[in-house]
Amino acid sequence: MTQLILRDLVKRYGDTEVLHAINLSVDQGEFVVLVGPSGCGKSTTLRMIAGLEEISSGIIEIGGRVVNNLEPKDRNIAMVFQNYAIYPHMTVRRNIGFGLKTSKLSKPEKDARIDEVAGILGMTEYLERKPAQLSGGQRQRVAIGRAMVRDPAVFLFDEPLSNLDAQLRTQMRLEIKKLHTRVGKMMIFVTHDQVEAMTLADRIVIMKDGHIQQIGTPAQVYHEPANTFVAQFIGAPQMNLLDATGTGTGVRLWNGAEIAVPGITLAPGRKLRFGIRPEDLTSGAEGLLSGTVTVAEPLGAETLIYVDVGGVEVTATAPGRTPPRAGDKIGLSLSGEAAHLFDADSGLSLRAGGA
Amino acid sequence: MAVDPSAHDTTKAPNAPRWGLYGRLSVGQKRTIWAWTFLAVPILFYVIIRFYPTGNAMVLSFQDWNLLGARTWTGLDNYTRLFSDPVFWQVFRNTFAYLLLGTPISLVISFVIAYHLDQVRFMHGTIRALYFVPFMTSAVAMAWVWRWFYQDVPIGLFNNLLATVGIPQVRFLNSTTNALPSILAPAIWAGLGFQIIIFMAGLRAIPRTFYEAAKIDGVSTWTVLWEITLPLLRPTIVFIVVLSSIGFLRIFDHVFNMTSANPGGPLNSTKPLVLMIYQSAFSSFDMGYAAAQTVVLFVVLLIVSLIQLRLLKDR
Repeated sequence: MTQLILRDLVKRYGDTEVLHAINLSVDQGEFVVLVGPSGCGKSTTLRMIAGLEEISSGIIEIGGRVVNNLEPKDRNIAMVFQNYAIYPHMTVRRNIGFGLKTSKLSKPEKDARIDEVAGILGMTEYLERKPAQLSGGQRQRVAIGRAMVRDPAVFLFDEPLSNLDAQLRTQMRLEIKKLHTRVGKMMIFVTHDQVEAMTLADRIVIMKDGHIQQIGTPAQVYHEPANTFVAQFIGAPQMNLLDATGTGTGVRLWNGAEIAVPGITLAPGRKLRFGIRPEDLTSGAEGLLSGTVTVAEPLGAETLIYVDVGGVEVTATAPGRTPPRAGDKIGLSLSGEAAHLFDADSGLSLRAGGA
Repeated sequence: MAVDPSAHDTTKAPNAPRWGLYGRLSVGQKRTIWAWTFLAVPILFYVIIRFYPTGNAMVLSFQDWNLLGARTWTGLDNYTRLFSDPVFWQVFRNTFAYLLLGTPISLVISFVIAYHLDQVRFMHGTIRALYFVPFMTSAVAMAWVWRWFYQDVPIGLFNNLLATVGIPQVRFLNSTTNALPSILAPAIWAGLGFQIIIFMAGLRAIPRTFYEAAKIDGVSTWTVLWEITLPLLRPTIVFIVVLSSIGFLRIFDHVFNMTSANPGGPLNSTKPLVLMIYQSAFSSFDMGYAAAQTVVLFVVLLIVSLIQLRLLKDR
């Protein structure tokens, strides 16, 4: 029943339009991640859903009700902030209970609710502590607890993991995902980290300059990127994008190498961008592309190698214990099936019926 | 200066010590030396100009001295005389009246102004400057302008205004009940600008997300003020309370200039402790007695400040 709908959502600051007609529909219980570089409008969108930013035009609907002119408290939402926004002068119990301040529950009911939430988050023994006596991860849990205690229809997260160190971030990411499975509520999560987006989301919304670039499951945005921006934003290391031209049944790369690409017909001479992920390139003594390794970055399980192919840098991964080293001359081979093709001018994918 | 031949030995480190004793000191020791070099001047100054006279005044409070003659020991005479002097108790009451009225009133007014000014964008800088101007004005000039405000018809501004609307004259400075609040008003006004600036800095330091989180929780403006803003402003409030208390306990120039015909009058009703000290010392030349009063003021200031720090800094 609870569904969130954004219809032609626009945000203007004076004459500057920062969000251009955003359309999005999220189902009950869905975990949607808004991801994009800074300034792409993801946080603004979230704050408009929360009611902290005014809507310039368009409609926001929560549970079948237009909430454009409703105060945040009447929207049935809760928000977790990047800097936690927990009050340093209150105990954990009072902080979590602050979300119930306006609730009509009796005092014992409120206490029971706080205890229940603290139990779920494993914070029961810290209830009488002040935030200064907690670690970063525990503070984040208090912030999540304050959102949970209100039992909202929609949880909003504004980069909640950015202030944590790398290890703790991975751990909290897992906990948020478990929490989602447990409470089953709709969650909208904003981040600039594509790994967070891939690991957490049921669906990812990739944004850039106030436009939605693609909406899809993690597998969709990874395997079928809609354009070159998505192709390079999702996945680490970045996808290689090489200049190429069509040959009818395949493509000819900038250096003259020809590759057959099954299932697609390309007008001869058509200018293209040929995308290939580093893990789809196989290194060996011989290959379609040959060049010199400039840098090798060992990651343990595999090694990232940067290869200079006639003046163009191509990234590839090499598995095993004896990877190529800087200065080695190697060949890279690839299969046309792994290729992503984009129009050279528009950057749109030619696979997804873009043509 | 003998040149050490090893200084040119290229096998040695190029920055090997060669400046005698100083060069052989560690970085930490050098820093200490420089720190003390710079601290020495103010320390010397404070010892001679501040601490020595303070100690001397305490000794003097047990002596009799008229500035010219010899200092003679009188034991606790100055203090017994002081505590049996009805003027002293009047002055003591006045001093606390300045403190107990001035501090809370100025605190509330400056907070209310700062709180609202913080939300105003229109002409923000200009308005803030207007509030700050009185703080930069000389207390003497201000006292004389206000003194003019308080005069009777046809001179005084306030009484002229009252007269035009048909309200009887108010005797501001000539009444034993009105004089003290009348003098307190410009004193509060003078300090307001500074307190507003400090309050605004404190308000700005509270992260905006605290308010946004409260907005999502839907609590009232009143709750936000009492449960978020004021508790988080506690350090600012402590600072302002202590500073303005010391100011009101030491009030002198406003009183002296607004009652210059009869300092502290009428009938000692506006006289603060500092003015009494001044009169004992430089009208009566009773230095021992003045010193005893100074010691009392010192103790009062110390106790009041310590109590406030203890009460307000709690956790």
